[in-house]
Amino acid sequence: MIREQPGRESGGRGRQEAALAALDIVVMTPRSAEGEMLIRELQRTRASVRHCWPAPETYPVEADVIVSELVPGLAHRLPWVPGQAKAALVVVLPAGAPALDQLHNIAADALLPRPLAPGVVPAIVLHAHIRFAYEQRLRARIDKLDETLRGMRTIERAKAILVETRSIGQDDAYNFIRRQAMDRRVTINAVAAAIIDSHELLG
Amino acid sequence: MGNPTARTGAPWRVGLLFSKTGITSVIEQTQLQASILAIEEINAAGGINGRELRAIHYDPGSSTAGFAQHAKRLMIDDGVTTIFGCYTSSSRKAVLPVVERLNGLLWYPTLYEGFEYSPNIIYTGAAPNQNSVALSQYLLKTYGNRFFLIGSDYIYPRESNRVIGELVRMAGGAVVGERYVGLRAQRRDFLPLMRECGQLRPSVIFSTVVGEATTHLYQAYADAGFDPRIMPIASLTTTEAEIGAMGPDVGCGHITAAPYFEAVDSDVNRAFVGRYKKRFGSDQTTNMCVEAAYFQVHIFARALAMTNSIETDCLRPMVLGSAFEAPQGQITINPMCGHTDLWTRLGRANGDGKFDIFWQSRVPVGADPYLVGYGAQVA
Repeated sequence: MIREQPGRESGGRGRQEAALAALDIVVMTPRSAEGEMLIRELQRTRASVRHCWPAPETYPVEADVIVSELVPGLAHRLPWVPGQAKAALVVVLPAGAPALDQLHNIAADALLPRPLAPGVVPAIVLHAHIRFAYEQRLRARIDKLDETLRGMRTIERAKAILVETRSIGQDDAYNFIRRQAMDRRVTINAVAAAIIDSHELLG
Repeated sequence: MGNPTARTGAPWRVGLLFSKTGITSVIEQTQLQASILAIEEINAAGGINGRELRAIHYDPGSSTAGFAQHAKRLMIDDGVTTIFGCYTSSSRKAVLPVVERLNGLLWYPTLYEGFEYSPNIIYTGAAPNQNSVALSQYLLKTYGNRFFLIGSDYIYPRESNRVIGELVRMAGGAVVGERYVGLRAQRRDFLPLMRECGQLRPSVIFSTVVGEATTHLYQAYADAGFDPRIMPIASLTTTEAEIGAMGPDVGCGHITAAPYFEAVDSDVNRAFVGRYKKRFGSDQTTNMCVEAAYFQVHIFARALAMTNSIETDCLRPMVLGSAFEAPQGQITINPMCGHTDLWTRLGRANGDGKFDIFWQSRVPVGADPYLVGYGAQVA
């Protein structure tokens, strides 16, 4: 079957356009001419866009991307502590040089400088979303690595028990644990822990 | 963040996050006092490069969310990059994302379960290989190989018991019971556990109970009429502070492993204990958490004197590999893992609420937070 690929050259709506259209975006900006342009450009991507102004004391949690003016106390309006962000954050900069310390503390994923150039808003919002999603994946990977590292010792011990009690090789022992895990639809760690427990129980 | 105060002589500002209220405040307040003592000593000696060291302290109330929020407040509102603080692993894990995202440096003066490495944390308490290994070996040799594990129900006791269980099993021993009590456990919560110990007669009760519940455990043990000479409570978390809270008669005869006890026999320690008591009262005792909270501020100050910049990217490389003559003896920040090479000591609580040290490592024990050097083979 030949499927039409959403290619770079095709000019049609590609994967990234589809990704944009799927986003839930909250916009905190005044309804000035520039603000209207920002909102319109985002709406045109078919993303779900909610507008909110004046900026609330506590920003909503439920969003993929928050686009916000650099309002006073922005870091405290965000419903998370730094490093635990729940959404990508795009900060709309005022004209002129922004306070660098404030920007650092807000930990934005992208910046939108004023005056806004026509057409760039969707690209920057998508960029922020992609970076944020990547950071989430890396964090998940680190969590998983931490867990695996702890689990490795359990698996090593379970392997050693199997090697000793069943007179099989290291690889066979591992494959045995892995097969059991697949059959029982539990993690390899869980099987390894069960082997150690039962070994102790039986002496 | 820039360093606009470098030329002005304005104070160096750092954050302190230790609880004055809540369930772990007994021990955390001692860590707060130790940090204050070190800061006062540094300022009395002229500050750091002529500038005063000034601490901003918040009380997180022994709550995980409180630690996260106050870490955010310190870094964002107060513009602090260096924070000394945290007792429980839960509080450390709450502060970790904040210091990692904003590139701060958390100095963590408490023993913990290992298996962590953050480039934004300096760990100055014991990792499992610096307390659990020696303690379990001694207990196995002296009392027998049947361990009953009791812990508070949070990360540290569960993870620490995983390690202890492994060490006991490697030596051919067994964990005959593993029970967890709430952080707010009362004496009645320990009664069924004491009955169980009465029936099972383990060789050792191994405790990682923390906070006020510690008193209730030892009291329940005493009420059950058990004898510490036969079946002691061995702990990684019961320090002089907890013994003081429960009363020396209740704690007497039980065993703790730690890098430091007040009884450490050295001039440096005697002077340190003297200054601590002079500052906070003669009834106060030092303990392993006090000592780590104390020496880590001095290590920080020495590194800062050399970098003259409090930015994490400048400070941390200077800290790694630095050595210090601490009250426990010579210690080094291990450059490989940001943990500290510490001494291992075993102490038995005496009738004065202190610990008699009956064993200690000949040299500092290198930090091995991932227990790489301790095989997982069957004994």
